[in-house]
Amino acid sequence: MTTQRTLAALATASLAVAALAGCSPSGNDGDVTISFWTHTHPPMIEVYETLIDEYEKANPGVTVDYQTIPNNEFNTKMLTSLSNGSGPDIINMDDSALRGDYIPKGLLAPVDPAALGESSVDDVQARYVEGTLEGATGDDGQLYGLPSEFNGTALAINVAHFADAGLDPEVPLETWDDLVAAGQKLAAAGHTQAFSFLYLHSGWYSQQYQTLLHQTGGSIADGDTGTLDSPESVEALQWWADLSGGDKSVGDPNKTSREATVPFQDLATGFQSMGIVYPWAMDQIAETNPETYANLKVVPLPQVDASNPSSRVYAYYWAVNKASKQQEASWKFVQFLSEHSEDFLTGTDFVQPLVGWEQSAAAQDIPFIETWGAAYATGKFDQVTPHYAEVQDAIAEMVNDAVFDGVAVEESAKNASDTVTRILQG
Amino acid sequence: MSSPSVTTRSSGSSSRGAASRARRSLTGFLFAVPALALFLVFAIYPGVQVFGLSLFDYSLTSPPVFVGFDNFVFLSTDPRFGEALAQTAFYAVGTYVPALALALVLAQALSTRIRGMGLARLFYFLPLAMSWVAVSIIWRVVLHPDGLLNQVLGLDVNWLTSSDSAKWALVIMSIWKETGFFLILFLAGLASIPPDVYEAARIDGAGAWRRFWYMTFPLLRPVTAVCAIMAILRGMQSFSPQAVLTDGAFGTEVVNLFVYKTAFESARMGRASAVAVLMFVLLLGLALVQLRALRRKD
Amino acid sequence: MRRKDWTRVVILIVALAGGLVVVSVLFYAVLAAFKSPGESFGSGSSWFPEEWQWGNLIKPFEIAPFGTYFLNSTFVGITVTILNLITCTAAGYSFSKFRYRGRQAAFVVVLATLMVPLEVLYVPLYKLVFDLGWVNSFAGLIVPAATSAFGIFLMKQSIDSVPDELLEAARLDGAGELRTLVSIVVPGVVGPMSALALFIFMTNWDSHLWPLLVASSDQYRTLPVGLAAMQANNLGDTGVPIILMAALLAVLPTVLLFLTLQRRFVDGIAMTAGLK
Repeated sequence: MTTQRTLAALATASLAVAALAGCSPSGNDGDVTISFWTHTHPPMIEVYETLIDEYEKANPGVTVDYQTIPNNEFNTKMLTSLSNGSGPDIINMDDSALRGDYIPKGLLAPVDPAALGESSVDDVQARYVEGTLEGATGDDGQLYGLPSEFNGTALAINVAHFADAGLDPEVPLETWDDLVAAGQKLAAAGHTQAFSFLYLHSGWYSQQYQTLLHQTGGSIADGDTGTLDSPESVEALQWWADLSGGDKSVGDPNKTSREATVPFQDLATGFQSMGIVYPWAMDQIAETNPETYANLKVVPLPQVDASNPSSRVYAYYWAVNKASKQQEASWKFVQFLSEHSEDFLTGTDFVQPLVGWEQSAAAQDIPFIETWGAAYATGKFDQVTPHYAEVQDAIAEMVNDAVFDGVAVEESAKNASDTVTRILQG
Repeated sequence: MSSPSVTTRSSGSSSRGAASRARRSLTGFLFAVPALALFLVFAIYPGVQVFGLSLFDYSLTSPPVFVGFDNFVFLSTDPRFGEALAQTAFYAVGTYVPALALALVLAQALSTRIRGMGLARLFYFLPLAMSWVAVSIIWRVVLHPDGLLNQVLGLDVNWLTSSDSAKWALVIMSIWKETGFFLILFLAGLASIPPDVYEAARIDGAGAWRRFWYMTFPLLRPVTAVCAIMAILRGMQSFSPQAVLTDGAFGTEVVNLFVYKTAFESARMGRASAVAVLMFVLLLGLALVQLRALRRKD
Repeated sequence: MRRKDWTRVVILIVALAGGLVVVSVLFYAVLAAFKSPGESFGSGSSWFPEEWQWGNLIKPFEIAPFGTYFLNSTFVGITVTILNLITCTAAGYSFSKFRYRGRQAAFVVVLATLMVPLEVLYVPLYKLVFDLGWVNSFAGLIVPAATSAFGIFLMKQSIDSVPDELLEAARLDGAGELRTLVSIVVPGVVGPMSALALFIFMTNWDSHLWPLLVASSDQYRTLPVGLAAMQANNLGDTGVPIILMAALLAVLPTVLLFLTLQRRFVDGIAMTAGLK
């Protein structure tokens, strides 16, 4: 009997010790592994790998398990793995997904000011240019992430082609009609693919459509009813269709490269003369086709209404999974990443909109920095709806109908609008 | 009733025989257990669950919500689902009717015993040793406006960027890929017809066409039936070609792709399960019709 | 007779020509895979590369974990094949040579699942695998595929033709059931077993939808999923030739397997239709 009691006591004691040993607070003692998922963009991946190396060396005991997910599956993979507490600790998502899905579904943890080295969320927000954190802010006003890249939209023109056409690259293309005029001169000089949109997966369709939508003042939905058939929204689609076929056509959409492996291939190989670009796109072209890059100039995006300029901004944010067991360690790593904004600028032209970023040395090295600065000033985030992935598919189909299948613009817009209504009400 | 001390060939009526028979039965059953267990867990259980799930709204990141028959009601008026069904039917018929017909004709020619026919057969078989994804990637290049198909046909069709032609592009590619498979089956079928049957017909003076239609084809009916069933299954299950070539754009979204997108991109697993239930019922119906047709002909 | 000989030669020529048409697609693809990125399309581009980019052969391995995809497909393929051989042969033996209550019913149920494709099951199946914690693991790729109704059917049919007397003789010699299976039955059905193995391996190599759901990280990706991802991903300096090369490399193993084991493979397919 006594032996039994002794044994029981020993057992309890050892259990207690084991339990205490098991609950070491993360980040302080014991080894911590934080998993970190991003989409796939080679220059960005390089920057992350270098920074992760640095972080792991400076913080022995912390391992960052970094994974890149293919872009066409990114949303799907993220959503399906975030259920039941699996999925990465740190997520790098775009603002549409954050505002449309992750924040409303309560999948993210609000920012932890202490782990980020500040005493309050306000102080964290004060670090960034005003308005740039909107993409990671919920309807409840809570902030859920810090920006890893903040992109404005501009136009790239090939000055060599312009020279061939007798065009002066310094003369601004203020409106889309100006672009059409330039395109026609370019075609006459042999550059028939003067301008084209990109037709990769549905995210690309919706981001270009929203760019036009901001300019016409249209919207995707009002509540749970689609508004793609409103006059302003139809105007946006009309511009897209006009630029791709008919008298205002400045390029053949069927000839546009659909190779997602090199999205800006046509611009980069000199096949296309003008194209919509983002800062990281210029960086990628510089790496793949430096000769063409030397001929590219970044100018402000043409406008529907030159007196009311608007550009589209979109951003990716680092956010922490609400079900993560090492939230503090995750935010600390995010903090580290946010301190290396210059590495992102030099490595991949990712702008992190910390106050005063334009004055940094790395920023000065970015060509056409003034153009990008101006683009940010007039930039707006996308309109987001619930079930945004399905809505994006509807937008892609609408554009395909109007541009490739020759369906009348009003009809394409009406069909898409009805589809959006079904999606939102279904 | 003496119990023999020497065991005989036939199972004895002794109690010892009964016990060992029972043990044998048990062992026999145990051999099937691994497979049966796997089926139970990974086929039967999900099979039952599909019906249940179809009555819920389940996004995987939130708990399931019971919605009764809402999913079915939605699908019954959903243009996208209707188009997916139409597309699947188009694809299945458009691919497999020509593929089977071609395979049948080719089998006739390729079963001719002559040196070099083995090589010819090999050419036709190659596509079936290639995975659908790889074939789709190759055909994306073939179907490019400046690619092989337009060059050979002397056309300038935008195969993959037009709702008129995208579905035909898929059909053309799939016929290329699938004919070889059915060719094997028809060749085997032809090989199992005794040669004296042909001899008899030839002696009777029957021409090649008559020989085929009245002699060969009826004898091939069992093979054709199996091929037809397999063709329907393969056609309805199509996913990779559409996913890789067009991602369902330009009217090529088949049911399987629709289920995948509904479940995993739109995060509506309940509705996707409802589609699966409907497809199951449809497949079952088709199978029963085919089996009845087969049995009646006999 | 001369006329008949001529007819046969004509048939051969036509058959060969048709076959060449089929193969021309592959020929075109192989040539295109050795081009440099800019050469792929545009007017005036010929089938042949201007300069053979031999480096393209290793490019897929440089731009993506292509080697890992290969290894994963191989590992999963071999494991699934072995597991199928074991479970299907055992179950086939059970259904063929034994009598026990529920045997008929069980066999019918197994056959019935032939009519229910993965496509109907994969939503709840995914949920099950997810709840088991097998998403992103080899278990999720292997275990659900470890047996097949087709395999069981095939093995039962084949074992049916193993003479009962052989089994009786072994039993009388005191062999246990397992020994009987391994030393008497298996040698008698080596042909069907190898055809089954080939068929399972090839089918698994091709499997796209299930691995797409279950293996999201590069560590576990199999070839079809990896290929599809490579094709849709912004990978920087690649383009058409590299993706083509990746696709061709991906089919090389199964094409080689097919070429060397053609007889077995053809037999296997014929068996699916109950023709052998």
